[in-house]
Amino acid sequence: MPLSRFLRRFFGDPATSRKRAFLRSLDLFKDLRFVDLGHLVQSMHSRTYHEGEVLFMEGDIGRALFILESGQVQLTKAGPDGQPRKIYTIQPGEFFGEMALLEQLPRTATATAVERSQVLLLYRSKLESLLSSHPRIGVQIMTHLAQLLSARLRRAGGSGSPAGAGRTDSPTAGASSGAAATPAS
Amino acid sequence: MSERQAPALLPVVLACAAALYCAYLVRQALLPFVLSFALAYVLNPLIDAAETRGLRRFHVVLAFYILAGLLLYLLGQLLLPVLLAETSRLQVDAPVYLAKVQKFAAGLQGRAAKHLPHAGLPIGPLAERAYASAMAQLEFVPSYLLGLFPLLSLFFLVPFITFFLLLDGPLIISTTIQAAPSRYVEQALHLLNAIDASLGHYLRGILIVALSITAASYVGLLALGLHAALSIAILAGVSSFVPYLGAVVGALVGGAAAVIQFGTVEASLKVVALFVGIRLADEALLQPFIAKYSVHLHPLIYLLSMMIGGEIFGFLGLVFAVPAACILKALVQVVWEWYASQARLRGHAARDCVAVPYT
Repeated sequence: MPLSRFLRRFFGDPATSRKRAFLRSLDLFKDLRFVDLGHLVQSMHSRTYHEGEVLFMEGDIGRALFILESGQVQLTKAGPDGQPRKIYTIQPGEFFGEMALLEQLPRTATATAVERSQVLLLYRSKLESLLSSHPRIGVQIMTHLAQLLSARLRRAGGSGSPAGAGRTDSPTAGASSGAAATPAS
Repeated sequence: MSERQAPALLPVVLACAAALYCAYLVRQALLPFVLSFALAYVLNPLIDAAETRGLRRFHVVLAFYILAGLLLYLLGQLLLPVLLAETSRLQVDAPVYLAKVQKFAAGLQGRAAKHLPHAGLPIGPLAERAYASAMAQLEFVPSYLLGLFPLLSLFFLVPFITFFLLLDGPLIISTTIQAAPSRYVEQALHLLNAIDASLGHYLRGILIVALSITAASYVGLLALGLHAALSIAILAGVSSFVPYLGAVVGALVGGAAAVIQFGTVEASLKVVALFVGIRLADEALLQPFIAKYSVHLHPLIYLLSMMIGGEIFGFLGLVFAVPAACILKALVQVVWEWYASQARLRGHAARDCVAVPYT
């Protein structure tokens, strides 16, 4: 309808619509409704990282989930000799640092922007607010995180690692979800 | 991983102290901004809620201002005649009330003289002196009213500044996050969230308390038949922005008004009982809801912050002392957590929840 399209264009916020469309394209949020995505957009913070900027360092206390909107982010981990080893390159649409949403523990890898990258951050306490005020969103995220952990445990179990090795440092591949392909950080 | 060094806190503390001192020097100019910030903080969730529907923030804020303007106009139409009627009735009844006070004082003196015949109670001279002093103060009323003109400017300035704060609030936050050193974005977010959690809930909570006390006082005083019910209810509501003060002011002013209007102590006691009831209801019904979300401050910190705020900034210092203490507490907690983490003063143990084998 031309009138509704005009009204949507006049009153609608294009920046929010773009973010909403991006979030809906992710496995993590694909089942959320229009208004839920609006709440999610408001709960997230956006930041541009320039090439070489460090998002977090191994050992920093993690408090946020990062979703890469555009650009590339390199995950590295210090080897026995203290030199950084590349473990994974995050591609747009993938998320990382999700363990911070479950526990405030030191990061297990360092994340550095390889090129100019646009990142969305979901802070832990914002997720907690969403869980209490909009349980549908919180449950969706937590379910996905549980599936992710389950997938990691299966892989760890399959490779003969102890059951508690959910926080694997090795890059994993072949997962159906793009998110599950990123190591915990 | 490279060895970390404990960051130096002294420059940060010195910079904060210098910023606070500068804020103190320009406190008069900051007043409308502080009030606007508080108002924007309280109103922001309404704007956010409408924005989740995909609307442009500018349209939402504009629509809100139009609606709020209409609502205030209607409220003014409803309440202003009552306030004006109360004022004009006070002007007419003032001599009658003064006569009643004098009669009441004389009665008190007579009763006191009967029970304590040897004590010279100067109630009569005291009442005359108070009357003369009140009459003398009446001459200064025009200058007092002129003194309120700078406050009137706030009625225009505060909504104006609040409009821009509501409009650009998210932009201010995203600019702050963008300006933070990349590695410390999480810490900056942690700080913003810690402040938001305590400050936002406190400010919204205290506004709910003020509105509830105003409404309950008005209904209660009206039921008791007090002529100046609305004026006293508004005074009690405004005073309740300072924790615990609303009911005290309401009981004192309402009690005095009841004595003057009815000439009996019983009427005054009824008003005091009303405000005790309101205070208890506030403690039982509202405070648990508010305290659940806000930062828990020790009563001594409460008292200390209010004394310091009142000493430095007067009445507004009393109003904003607790929010400032909330911010300070969140700041100290976050900075200390960060310092302890960087300096490796505290370990972070993972939860031992893997005893059950994976099946």
